Amino acid sequence: MSKDHNAQKTCWNCPALELRGHVDFRACGQSMRKFMTEGQAMAECKRRPELGLFDPASLTFEECPEWEEGPYGYQLRDMRVLILGIDGYLGWTLALWLGSLGFRVAGVDNFNRRRWVAEEGSHSVVPIAPMEERLRAAKEVLGIEISFREFDILDNEKLRQFIQEFQPEAIVHYAECPSAPYSMVDFQHAAYVQHNNVIGTLGLLFAMRDLAPEASLIKLGTMGEYGTPLTGRPIFEGIFPADAVLQWDGREWSLGGELTPRDPVSFYHVSKVQDTFNVYESCKYWWLRSYDVMQGVIYGVHTEQVAADPRLRTRFDVDEWFGTVINRFVAQAVVGIPLTIYGSGGQTRGFLALRDAMQCMTRLILSPPEPGQYDVVNQISGVYRVRELAETVARIAADEFGLEVEIQRLENPRVEADEHPYEVVYEKLPQQLGFEPQVTLEEEVYQMLKLLIQPSIRSRIEAIRQVILPKTRWSGLHKEMDVIERYKVRPRRVVGLGAEGGGEDDPER
Amino acid sequence: MEAKGPRLAIIGLDGVPYELIRDLAAKGVMPMVDELFQEGKLDKMASSVPAVSSVAWSSIITGENPGTHGIFGFTDVAAGSYRLTFPNFAQLKAPPFWEESLFGRSAILNVPSTYPARPMNGVHIAGFVAPDLTKAVYPPSLVDQLRAWEYEVDVDASSAHQSLELFLRKLNQTLDARTRAFLGLVERPWDTFMAVYTGTDRLLHFLWPAVTDPRHRLHEAALDYFRRVDHSIGRLVERLPEEAPLVMLSDHGFEALEIQVNINRFLLQEGFLRWRRERPRSLNDLAEGSVAFALDPARIYLHRKGRYPRGTVGEDQAEKLVDQLAAALAELRVEGREAVARVYRRQEIYHGPQVDRAPDLVAIPAPGIEFKAGLEADSLAEPAAPFTGKHRGDNAFLYVRPPEGHEQPPQARSVQDVQPLLVWLKNSLCQSRRRNDE
Repeated sequence: MSKDHNAQKTCWNCPALELRGHVDFRACGQSMRKFMTEGQAMAECKRRPELGLFDPASLTFEECPEWEEGPYGYQLRDMRVLILGIDGYLGWTLALWLGSLGFRVAGVDNFNRRRWVAEEGSHSVVPIAPMEERLRAAKEVLGIEISFREFDILDNEKLRQFIQEFQPEAIVHYAECPSAPYSMVDFQHAAYVQHNNVIGTLGLLFAMRDLAPEASLIKLGTMGEYGTPLTGRPIFEGIFPADAVLQWDGREWSLGGELTPRDPVSFYHVSKVQDTFNVYESCKYWWLRSYDVMQGVIYGVHTEQVAADPRLRTRFDVDEWFGTVINRFVAQAVVGIPLTIYGSGGQTRGFLALRDAMQCMTRLILSPPEPGQYDVVNQISGVYRVRELAETVARIAADEFGLEVEIQRLENPRVEADEHPYEVVYEKLPQQLGFEPQVTLEEEVYQMLKLLIQPSIRSRIEAIRQVILPKTRWSGLHKEMDVIERYKVRPRRVVGLGAEGGGEDDPER
Repeated sequence: MEAKGPRLAIIGLDGVPYELIRDLAAKGVMPMVDELFQEGKLDKMASSVPAVSSVAWSSIITGENPGTHGIFGFTDVAAGSYRLTFPNFAQLKAPPFWEESLFGRSAILNVPSTYPARPMNGVHIAGFVAPDLTKAVYPPSLVDQLRAWEYEVDVDASSAHQSLELFLRKLNQTLDARTRAFLGLVERPWDTFMAVYTGTDRLLHFLWPAVTDPRHRLHEAALDYFRRVDHSIGRLVERLPEEAPLVMLSDHGFEALEIQVNINRFLLQEGFLRWRRERPRSLNDLAEGSVAFALDPARIYLHRKGRYPRGTVGEDQAEKLVDQLAAALAELRVEGREAVARVYRRQEIYHGPQVDRAPDLVAIPAPGIEFKAGLEADSLAEPAAPFTGKHRGDNAFLYVRPPEGHEQPPQARSVQDVQPLLVWLKNSLCQSRRRNDE
């Protein structure tokens, strides 16, 4: 895997940089306001004070002894990463992943996700340990020491104290409510999600301004911020490329560098769009640096670390509020509920396996933007139609595990196009950050089925089967979705994932 | 506690040329300075090569040339790398005069290139470039007092890019705070007192025509700044002991600026310099085939093998390359005029233990032209706006009011003769005190 992506990054990108101002040597070393685009930047290094004052552009990661070669590029020795929302599906997985790579990890959570899921009468179908036990197991099994605090990041004072204490060099912000249906339940839920997400992030930005301006913020956005433009225009990575042009009325303007349009698809997605602007402005006003990660739908249950011990497992939700589509299909397949697709099932989305998401996050952490730089990545590894995903899960379940699986089309509870063009640009992670997907959809679906089919987990799915099907309509109408059609997928060995191997000749691969 | 021993005072005016201070005094803009000029002798003095404040003040306070004190400009490159550093007081390889016991307890205020401050006998406030006030001050207990005086090491020059009027207001505010600090500290015990006004240099960079051209819309406002400086000097001098000798000086002169010439662009065009990428970000982007590069303002270094990671110039090629560079520079013309007044080779101007770190060549620009060594310049010459004034090396000034009853000391012809002059003054004071004691 590519390790070179960040070799030529300079101290400008390093969180150990301490900018000491800009000096204009055209005029005899005149000092400028702390941050200027003109003049010569002067910096000191928090980790190597012996360097004195120097030009941050003149030292690369490759040359700096604080950055050592690692599997995902040059890695800042003992880099301090703060994960907000460390108890969640992604947060916990990332904590163990980074810890095993030698990062120093701290995390915050108030266990809201456990409460939200319980509110619906659901639970993580893969059992997860309480945090205390998780931390103990991380130390015992993987030798990872995680510094954890329980609080709500809306408590800005506590957040500030912890940032002050831990001095993070990167902050991964997973501490938002990630459910579109949850935000559409009623006014109270919509207001709650927007307040929790937007104000939590805003408070974090002010805390970073005051206490950790050099840390890079890896902020979770979502591909859902963009919507699905019906014109079929490409969905760029948040910002128009340099050669994009707007033509109107016989005239022409460059769009290069401007934020691309957002067209969120729920009040939850609106909160993410508001976050995007708040983060963007903070980078502009205060020279913070951030990646806004437009993450696709994550699926999967497996990393080496979470699989190392039952106490280290990450949560796996399949309910209508918090279950993401592939995960839900797998659970439905296991307990014999028809895989539910909405409308025609032609909705096309970007997807990413859990393990690949961890690789992406690591690469982003190791390649911080420059001070003041707001950057966006579309974090997906492939694009699929929901209908095709259902068929893939159904086939693997049938072929590899002998399960009888049906697919049913329901009325679409959402306001969205069932059939639409979808051209996503996702170039930065593979081309600039060295990301190479390691997991295929079929392999991960196979792994998920293998885990979920275990009787203990199967019974946990059975226990919540009444909350798997959608009930929350965007219209507010309280009525179960009607079934449009139910069908079976023709059995066909698409892949050979079990002991038999094979599958190389499949034309669709 | 009253300090003992003979006392010496030094007042600096950064960047003020000989002709300007002479005329401002004579025309009544600076009456206090004019009064002083009646009591001593005003001379022209040569600056350092290059004529930039960090080099010149380092020579003034040490009496050494850059080959000995090791400060060759505002920037340098760390050995064995392409890391651009900003050498400061910590890298100064010769002791400043106030670290000699002869000078007793000192107050050293706002001398450029003396950051970070370090323990000494007395008080020290470093001048520009000083990014952190808490590291610019000794003893550290003085920081709170300076904050109370609203003291700033340097005016925020970014305002000059927005509005010259705003810049003048900020210059005045910075000067007022500086005066408060100077007056507060001159009342404390000292044997040697040195205070430098640096706003003058800042003003002349942006407002040279306003100072020299009576028709300029900001002429009076610019002269007002010099009136304020004069008033400040007057209040300071009132508080000096009458018998104390006084030295007043600048570190370099000034003149009008018309064209900025980018020396690295010139080296690129002439084939001496190559970059590894289209838009270089730092010297780290020097390509292997490069034989020379420049640091501000026009210090040209050979890309020597063994000294820089991708350097290829061997000792045997150095002399020939220096000849080629000197010849090419002599031919450099911009907008139809000769751009280079003179090219110095290292051995002509530098001597001492640091000489191996010195530039191989230093080009001195013709009048009206300023050399710059930015990396990204797209063209050889460009308008210099908003800058309208530039340093000049041959018209700094030096004024000496000798101790009462003493003859004028030997003339200081250049900045590195100032420290010997200060020693001479201190010694002659000590001798006369001894005579009086006998």
